[in-house]
Amino acid sequence: MRLTHMKSVLLALFLFGMLFLVGCGGKKTAAAPTPPPPVTPPPAAPAPAITLRAEPATIERGGSTTLTWEARNAGSVTITPELGTVSVTGNRAVTPGSSVTYTATATGPGGTASDIARVTVNVPAASTTPVEPPRRPDVSSGGLAQNVSDVLFDYDKADLRPEMVDVLKKNASWLKTNANVRFTIEGYCDDRGSEEYNLGLGDRRANVVKEFLVAQGVAANRINTVSYGEERPLCREETEECFAKNRRAHFAQMN
Amino acid sequence: MTRKFTLLFLLIAVALAVAAPKRAAQIRTGTNQGVIGVKIAVPEFQSASSDPKTAALLAIFNKVLWDDLDYAGGLTLVSRSLYPLGKFAGPGDIKPEAWTAPAVDAQFIAFGSIQAGNGSMSVEARLWDLKATQNREAIGQRYKSDDTDEGARFIAHKFADAIVDLISGGKGIAQTSIAYISERTPGVKELYTMDYDGSSAHALTAYKSTVLTPAWSPDGEKIAFTSYRRGIPDIEILSRSDNRPYTFERPGGTTTTPAWSPDGSKIAFATSRDGSDMEIYVADWNGKNLRRLTVSKGVDISPVWNPRTGREIAFTSDRSGSPQIYIMDAEGTNVRRLIEEGGHAVNAAWSPDGQRIAFAWQKARSNFDIYIHDLTTGQNTQLTSDAGSNEKPTWAPDGRHIAFESSRTGTKQIFSMILDGTKIRQLTNAGNNTGPAWSGFFK
Repeated sequence: MRLTHMKSVLLALFLFGMLFLVGCGGKKTAAAPTPPPPVTPPPAAPAPAITLRAEPATIERGGSTTLTWEARNAGSVTITPELGTVSVTGNRAVTPGSSVTYTATATGPGGTASDIARVTVNVPAASTTPVEPPRRPDVSSGGLAQNVSDVLFDYDKADLRPEMVDVLKKNASWLKTNANVRFTIEGYCDDRGSEEYNLGLGDRRANVVKEFLVAQGVAANRINTVSYGEERPLCREETEECFAKNRRAHFAQMN
Repeated sequence: MTRKFTLLFLLIAVALAVAAPKRAAQIRTGTNQGVIGVKIAVPEFQSASSDPKTAALLAIFNKVLWDDLDYAGGLTLVSRSLYPLGKFAGPGDIKPEAWTAPAVDAQFIAFGSIQAGNGSMSVEARLWDLKATQNREAIGQRYKSDDTDEGARFIAHKFADAIVDLISGGKGIAQTSIAYISERTPGVKELYTMDYDGSSAHALTAYKSTVLTPAWSPDGEKIAFTSYRRGIPDIEILSRSDNRPYTFERPGGTTTTPAWSPDGSKIAFATSRDGSDMEIYVADWNGKNLRRLTVSKGVDISPVWNPRTGREIAFTSDRSGSPQIYIMDAEGTNVRRLIEEGGHAVNAAWSPDGQRIAFAWQKARSNFDIYIHDLTTGQNTQLTSDAGSNEKPTWAPDGRHIAFESSRTGTKQIFSMILDGTKIRQLTNAGNNTGPAWSGFFK
């Protein structure tokens, strides 16, 4: 080990000497071989160095972490975001609201140096409680579910088929006699078209049914519409029979 | 319930002290002219420490770096079976003539070493221009992170992007992200994001409801999407970094398919607030200052802005009797049909340069496939075929890659490919995954 070290020192000296010689060589044309003046160059200002750490590097939202920094050969230290100019060595607790990267920059006569520390803030997934109202099971024998039937549609169509007009007329007469029932018409599609277009198609199906009922004398303010497109299908098989069941407008009681 | 959020480590990247002058010799590649990619050798990085974790981190790093470069487009990776024998960790290990010899014929070599210990890892990574006679070192960086799989992945992505930016003629996408909808419990769809290569998937919502159609804000900070959480679907906006919700005023009626304007100030969307069917509207991104853009009988849905100019909006309409793609001026004027050839054409996705529109086309009553329509020539190019139904194309910000959803495996999964239809890779596996939206470049 020591030998190796000695070797490096010797090598360094040798290289230094070579540089020196080369330097002299460049002055070969000088008239008089004057010995080089014993100049000691002013010592270059040492480059600053800085380390920045965050402990712990991962926190829960609302928790805190401690930034610790230590700079050498520096006159000032700045930490961003939030802390600004700080002492050359120090620590501070921070409570970032979201993941953030702190940058510490040390400035001294020898230049600048910087280091960064990333703090990861674990945030809960948005709203873990569904606010969607639970579907009200309609079990009363005289309720909407027993007296109002689904309306079925042809592939890629929102027009009312003739036999569905009869279904809808029966629905309308029950809905008119039960005038306190408020309800949502849900439009559905089979999953063969594109998902986004089916949202539009399911919406048309629901609205076509609504318009028909309103024309039959059902008050529009009792009716909501919603499109599920190809979401939440009644039947999940890829068969014609299943597709036909899924192309529907369904009635769900709201009160 | 909490989740780990994105990058779980410190990162420090410093130029190596030994790095040669900043600019290497002029690097010229053929990729801008559309010829074969620049040839690069990527020998496995070597372990420079005995820490037991190093081997696992090394394996991840080597795989991710190779995959990133291989998938970038514009680079040709020389097979490792052609490399000279040996280990290549530092500058002293590389003899340029051995790598430029006809057997290997590489122009560049990426190599380096990994050190782990005390909870952190450090990667010394270099890119050499083998054909340069001086200033061979184009990149010399030391990357640091904590000693996790994510850390190894992150450094590999970072180094890969630096290489791609420098020599492929394009811009690296290894640090981009894809938002999508994941159905892991039947009937429950949540909003997720994942890295561009399918790793690090995590949920942004836990609504136990249905969400659909995610769209990134241009700054990559927010995601707008359709949510059934409150019964009638409307638009919600979440911050990507901390899941903070932003308010989007409900216009009433089924409201869906949000799309951000390129300056991030507005959102175009479809709503049936007027009663009979969906129309395209535009509003400020908080839902205020609502303006109606379409007036037509039938469905108008799925608006997307020309990201280059913000002057045009493409959308889907069945005003002609079947769903077709139309383009209108941003004020709703000058509506013209894009694809005249029939079938069903949907899911318009405008390329980042504004020159092309990717879309899903069902030519007969069979499956959808992904096509690209060139707005200058009017030409349609087919990218997928004979592999299930392929829908919902979304462009990577480099304009060279497209992600889409496909039923080719029997379930719906997200795939990505290079623009020429090659290098198709499956990004998701769990449950059904749909509606991919590729982020822009993050700041």
